[in-house]
Amino acid sequence: MDKNTYDAIVVGTGVSGGWAAKELTEKGLKTLVLDRGPMVKHGDYPTAMKAPWELPYADQPTREDVARHPIHTRPSFYGIKQSTKHWFVDDIDNPYEETRPFDWFRGYHVGGRSLMWGRQSYRFSQMDFEANAKEGVGVDWPIRYEDVAPWYDYVEEFIGVSGSVEHLPQLPDGQFLPPMELTCVEKDFRDKLAGKFGRKLIIGRTANLSAPLKHDKSPQRAPCQYRNLCMRGCPFGAYFSSNSSTLPAAEKTGNMTMVTNAIVYELIYDNAKGKATGVRVQDAETGHQTDYFARVIFVCASTFGTTQILLNSTSSRFPNGFGNDSGEVGHNIMDHLFGSGAQALADGYEDRYYSGRRPNGFYIPRYRNVGKDKRKYLRGFGYQGSARREDWTRLADMPAIGEELKRAAETPGPWRVSMMGFGEMLPSHRNRVTLDHNRKDKYGLPLLNFDAAHEENEILMGKEIIDDAMEMLTAAGYRDVQSFKIEANVGAGIHEMGTARMGRDPKTSVLNGWNQMHACKNVFITDGSCMTSSACQNPSLTYMALTARAASHAVDELKRGNI
Amino acid sequence: MNRREWLKCMSMLAVGAVTAPSLLAVFDAHAAAQRADTTAPFFTKQQSDVVAAVADIILPQSDTPGAVEAGVPRFIDQMFRDVYTKEEQQHYVHALAAFEKAGSKPFLQLDAAQRKALVTRLHEEALAKSNLNPASASAFVLMTKKLTMLGFFMSQPGCTEVLQYVAVPGAYHADIPLSQAGNGKAWAIEAELTI
Repeated sequence: MDKNTYDAIVVGTGVSGGWAAKELTEKGLKTLVLDRGPMVKHGDYPTAMKAPWELPYADQPTREDVARHPIHTRPSFYGIKQSTKHWFVDDIDNPYEETRPFDWFRGYHVGGRSLMWGRQSYRFSQMDFEANAKEGVGVDWPIRYEDVAPWYDYVEEFIGVSGSVEHLPQLPDGQFLPPMELTCVEKDFRDKLAGKFGRKLIIGRTANLSAPLKHDKSPQRAPCQYRNLCMRGCPFGAYFSSNSSTLPAAEKTGNMTMVTNAIVYELIYDNAKGKATGVRVQDAETGHQTDYFARVIFVCASTFGTTQILLNSTSSRFPNGFGNDSGEVGHNIMDHLFGSGAQALADGYEDRYYSGRRPNGFYIPRYRNVGKDKRKYLRGFGYQGSARREDWTRLADMPAIGEELKRAAETPGPWRVSMMGFGEMLPSHRNRVTLDHNRKDKYGLPLLNFDAAHEENEILMGKEIIDDAMEMLTAAGYRDVQSFKIEANVGAGIHEMGTARMGRDPKTSVLNGWNQMHACKNVFITDGSCMTSSACQNPSLTYMALTARAASHAVDELKRGNI
Repeated sequence: MNRREWLKCMSMLAVGAVTAPSLLAVFDAHAAAQRADTTAPFFTKQQSDVVAAVADIILPQSDTPGAVEAGVPRFIDQMFRDVYTKEEQQHYVHALAAFEKAGSKPFLQLDAAQRKALVTRLHEEALAKSNLNPASASAFVLMTKKLTMLGFFMSQPGCTEVLQYVAVPGAYHADIPLSQAGNGKAWAIEAELTI
């Protein structure tokens, strides 16, 4: 047992697990870090430097690729292409059930989805932390903005977030590296939105290094080279991933032991001690089972990975799943409204262009239900988009062929503005995931069964996302304004949250204000499952801040002898 | 966005740019053609010659390489062999057969002017129709055009000699005169925003 005993165990190595590993090891804890997939060391990105012509099939997925990802490719093909498909698990070996359709995109490898994330990094605001209590929705967050603000500072400074200072109460500023620039048409749109609507359009806040980091703790990270191939993994370390940032920091302490291919299938509870004592692990390749022990456990296996472990960890104390006295584990699934927006063409800037490939776009922060604005629905949405010149693809449905086609392709096309909404989804007890004990995956774990859908508030908001986008593009004087709506189930935003929520009352929530399990104080959960509401901002930055905050508290509590 | 929808609706590409991974990475028929490839080609020799001849009309050699030099016929073969579904394969093969009957003689027996006139006419027909029969001669021309463009503009000659391509830009300039954006031609790879 001794050789399998550590001070701390971290389950998962995505944005949250990487941060937990860094913080706990830097505070001196001997920490076992487990990931269910294979090792990916920083730099081990097989397609990162491939030229366009070095990828087969124009980077499209083959029939075989689609056959291995029949559910994943159903709505969006996100990432299933020759250059990035190796980062995504397939649906054959990793099945799940859908009482109602759900899009679940997963990456099982060290670094998790921090390798493929969209890197947009926004703080939640006081308005977001107060909304549930004010409106009587779900349960109240047990924390407020001021509790998290110093931790936002802390993680932004370490990972590097590029952005502009805007003084917006609904979107607090952070510790920013220089903002990236807007294109000429984005600036035109910004000015028109300000003039006609009093709304802001800002450059996206992104975890890409627009300048060197302000600290010297990540010598492996260099500024962005503007290739915009982030999702393949960046050999320059120019965007934040666990692989490029937090895991090297944890490794440097000498306190981290990493075990890969380690599927945690159960948390071990000791009735006498009233604590978790460790985790049960199955090797993904050999099936060999091992128990590991520690004084504190951080579960950061991703929202549904964590949920699966909790629901699968039953005992006389926890017959309905680990820490599930409230019955809320698996409930209150949230994602962001995704896939709807509008686009248009803008004239008058034919002599302007850009160089380099910006891994970022513009952002229109939430303006609905802010200040005096009141809608029929609760909460709001932001838009992400860009304005850039069309490429050769515009010519496919135009008359030119022959030398005329070649010459036309050499000229940049018209400017196209495109914007898509990201809307807040309310927590609802009806939106849930359960375990199906009658069907198991090849590792013997019961399958997750999803049962979630957008409800009335989301449907009302979804309509306004399209209407507002059309109205703004039209008012800006652009032509050929068209809406779009991509088939997207809950989950398509890849911002899943809520299935082990924080709250003040153990009867209605799973975690307290320190991401600490109400019913078992030495278990902390800091991935998306901890979220009490979803806001409309991309949530990863908040997971990082909550993780660093929880790790600090966990170490303090260990020192005090409280856990 | 479905990866095949681009062939039906190119105007949706800007949406794809925001949300879908679809089109913006690329292919080199040259590189693929040089690899040892033991799998049999999809097309017969006869079919392959027709596809190549049409691709040559769509993007001919000029002061820069054309589709044939860029390896596009091989690319189209690989796309049908490994990417497209059985139904899509059948549509294209039937469309190719219809195309062979659309002129006064089989396509390869026409002279250069007749070939170009036939392709031009069918291309215009395809663009004029809102509901194109996927197994028709005009659908063959439009599909071949789209695949020729895809294969060519993602090949090394297409990216670097017709368009312009910089592997590692190193900097981003958001708002500059067109004449100062490299050589002033369109960038081969547009900024892809993947959220």
